[in-house]
Amino acid sequence: MKILVAIKRVADPDNANKVKPTADKVDTTGLEWKPNPFDEYALETALRLTENGKNNKVRQGEVVVVTIGNKDTETQLRSALATGADRAIRVEAEDTDLDGRLVAAALKSVVDAEKPDLVLLGKQVVDGDSNSVGQMLAQLLDYPMATFAATIQEEADGRLLVGREVDGGVLSLRLTTPAIITVDLRVVAPTSVYSKHTDAGFKYSDGVRFAALPAIMKAKKKPLDVKALADLAPGKTNGSSYFRFEAPPARAAGVKVPDVATLVNKLATEAKAL
Amino acid sequence: MAHTVNRYKADIREFHFVLFEQFKIQELFGKAPFDDWSEEVAVAIIDEVHRFGTEVLGPLNAVGDEQGCRLENGQVLTPDGFKEAWQKMYEAGFKSLSISPEFGGQGAPTGLSAITTELSSGPNTAFEMYPGLTIGAAELIEAFGTEEQREHYCGRMFGGTWGGTMCLTEAQAGSDVGEASTTAVKNADGSYAIKGSKIFISGGDQDLTENIIHMVLARTPGAPKGTKGLSLFIVPKHRTDAEGNVTGPNDVSVSAIEHKMGINGSSTCQLAFGDNDACIGYLLGTEETRGMRQMFQMMNYARVGVGLQGLAVASTAYLNALEYAKERKQGPSVRNFKSADAPRVPIIEHPDVRRMLLDMKARVEGIRALIAKGASHLDRANSLKHTGGSESEISYHEGQLELMTPLIKAYSSDQAFRICETAIQVHGGAGYTRDFPVEQYCRDSKIFSIYEGTNHIQALDLVARKLNLGGGQYAMALLQDIGKFVEKHQASEVFRKSIGKLSEAHGAVSSTAMQFMTWFQAGEMERVPLVANRFLKMMSEMVIGWLLLDAAMIACERQEALDQEHPDWSFYEGKKHAARYFALNVLPEVVASAETIKLGDRSPLDIPDAAFATV
Repeated sequence: MKILVAIKRVADPDNANKVKPTADKVDTTGLEWKPNPFDEYALETALRLTENGKNNKVRQGEVVVVTIGNKDTETQLRSALATGADRAIRVEAEDTDLDGRLVAAALKSVVDAEKPDLVLLGKQVVDGDSNSVGQMLAQLLDYPMATFAATIQEEADGRLLVGREVDGGVLSLRLTTPAIITVDLRVVAPTSVYSKHTDAGFKYSDGVRFAALPAIMKAKKKPLDVKALADLAPGKTNGSSYFRFEAPPARAAGVKVPDVATLVNKLATEAKAL
Repeated sequence: MAHTVNRYKADIREFHFVLFEQFKIQELFGKAPFDDWSEEVAVAIIDEVHRFGTEVLGPLNAVGDEQGCRLENGQVLTPDGFKEAWQKMYEAGFKSLSISPEFGGQGAPTGLSAITTELSSGPNTAFEMYPGLTIGAAELIEAFGTEEQREHYCGRMFGGTWGGTMCLTEAQAGSDVGEASTTAVKNADGSYAIKGSKIFISGGDQDLTENIIHMVLARTPGAPKGTKGLSLFIVPKHRTDAEGNVTGPNDVSVSAIEHKMGINGSSTCQLAFGDNDACIGYLLGTEETRGMRQMFQMMNYARVGVGLQGLAVASTAYLNALEYAKERKQGPSVRNFKSADAPRVPIIEHPDVRRMLLDMKARVEGIRALIAKGASHLDRANSLKHTGGSESEISYHEGQLELMTPLIKAYSSDQAFRICETAIQVHGGAGYTRDFPVEQYCRDSKIFSIYEGTNHIQALDLVARKLNLGGGQYAMALLQDIGKFVEKHQASEVFRKSIGKLSEAHGAVSSTAMQFMTWFQAGEMERVPLVANRFLKMMSEMVIGWLLLDAAMIACERQEALDQEHPDWSFYEGKKHAARYFALNVLPEVVASAETIKLGDRSPLDIPDAAFATV
């Protein structure tokens, strides 16, 4: 199976206190950057779907990672290559020039050229939380789509059985490839993803795998192509504009209540939670 | 119930500063033997090792402490989760960094591997000892073993299939290792029959690996007394065939394990070799009575390793105390001390808490710079050897590392315990409970000043050996380096007073060193051990004061290009304050110590034994 994984870097969510919104933009000077966590889950999913799932794993497919960003975003691509991706593509652009529609249009051109069996994305990016690119890309490509995937099982005929966690249960979808899946948090649990080569009952380590240190060195030598945004999305420009940014209000101090009765009373009358 | 969450904290920005801004490791990248290295790769490796430490090793730290190791039916069982962590670590190639490419490693510069060691030891210093000692034992075989021995043991040990230990200590032979009485008698097939018992063997038994390779110091028949007569033997726990498959036991048994103050996740074993006269060992290399020399070559890096352990634990103790001080509210600000309803403030606002925090910061960052300096000299010597550097340059770098080694081992390990103690003090009563990690850090860190050569042995190594190495030229070179720094920056407006204190400390260390010379010449030998520890502290603090001020100068320069809103601006501001605090609060103690030594007090020597107490 050939899989295309789209990844985006985000300002380290652990450093949220360093973010300084001004009236017209979020100042990103000096912030540390990390891959969007859901995109890391998408990459882990892609690796699990393209290997035999035994200890001493053997690759059984190809994983291509793509990002849209400036030269600095190659750090996140190299890190994906170190984790196990085979090739990388960077589409040159600045974050401020992009919106979901433009990103989806550029990714469509990449898909048209690469012809993967599956496109994997995180369900959303933790900076803007738009949750739109996967859905728009499915529309542009006219591919079957499953969002918020928690489990993926590749069946013998190559179709993908996807479990989506929805309110009150799991919704199962069977997709014919080529297809698009956006993944949720639990897709990296030990038994969430099985390729058709993986032994039933094989358990992965929980979470996203570590890049082996020797692989970090070798990642420098893996191919990384750079493409121009104008070539991939000709004539298209950023259609969204931001007009104001505000920091969330500081949390007010809590109150101590003397006893349980007061607490229940406050919950009922002030918070109206009961 | 032990915590299974990570409590380890590290300031990654600090590693980048030490590596790239202060010691400029990137100057060595792209040429032999570090051709394949780049800043980007080094940064990625630091991040990944940090992630492994906080996600895998950190959560096992309190578990290892509370469970400890158990001895059941002659087999040591390590705490829950250690075996899985071991497997994960080797699967991801995390221990291949400093290993030579010949054995599948990456030959990383020591400056980088020192940081990754800190990042592994800080989350779980007890766990890190198993791979640490395994690598040390394998490196001994790599350096001195026959081709066959290298082939048979090194790959399996570097790869984590087999563990390794260093077996020096016996009941009557601790610091006095020459008293070792374990014997090795040559068998007809060229192997040796090993008989004797060893104590305090870290990782002496464990359930992490298929086999354990003990490096055992033993005496052959007729060999001279003392350290000169000792040879090193490779003694496996299990015998193996040529393919490395275990074929049966080798008469190595665990008599007991120690119950300790700290590092409880690390098994400390009493081992009996040859109780049934069926223990076979193999001479390391081909020549007998080379044991101490072989061991010592490795011991130097092991000593730097202990310095790193101290740094690692002290650093996370400091950062935990810092976090607590920012969150814990108690008392009003000192500016409102008279007002009963003044708002309660986080304790970081109290002057004495700030003093403790800055004291820990300055010491932790100073020790990190000291170790990075040692590593940098090793890497530079190595680089020069591969790029046709001159003999004198290479010898300068090697000499500086030799000189720094006892400082790194002893100063870092002494301070680690004290820094952890300060971290508890910042926490108040909470720090004395197991709800916070600092009490464990404090207990874990005490051993660092004892093992791998006690700190007094380090002090004697410094005054009796290292100061005079190469006719004293390395010590002179160090004093000259500091002298040049003082000269260059003494006009600095911001740091004039601090540089002045460094200059005074420099004078104090030089004159005390001269004092030793006169004592040596006058045959007043017994005075030297009395003040050796104090001198090691003086010299360490002089070097650290210098390195912190050097960092502060870099920080001043970099700050000029930044506005105050930039996160790096505060980072550099921190460097300046740490340097000034150390120069004005610690360096004066160096001068006072020199004065104390000059008093020439002999009372510890003169007091009769019976006068110490009436019991």
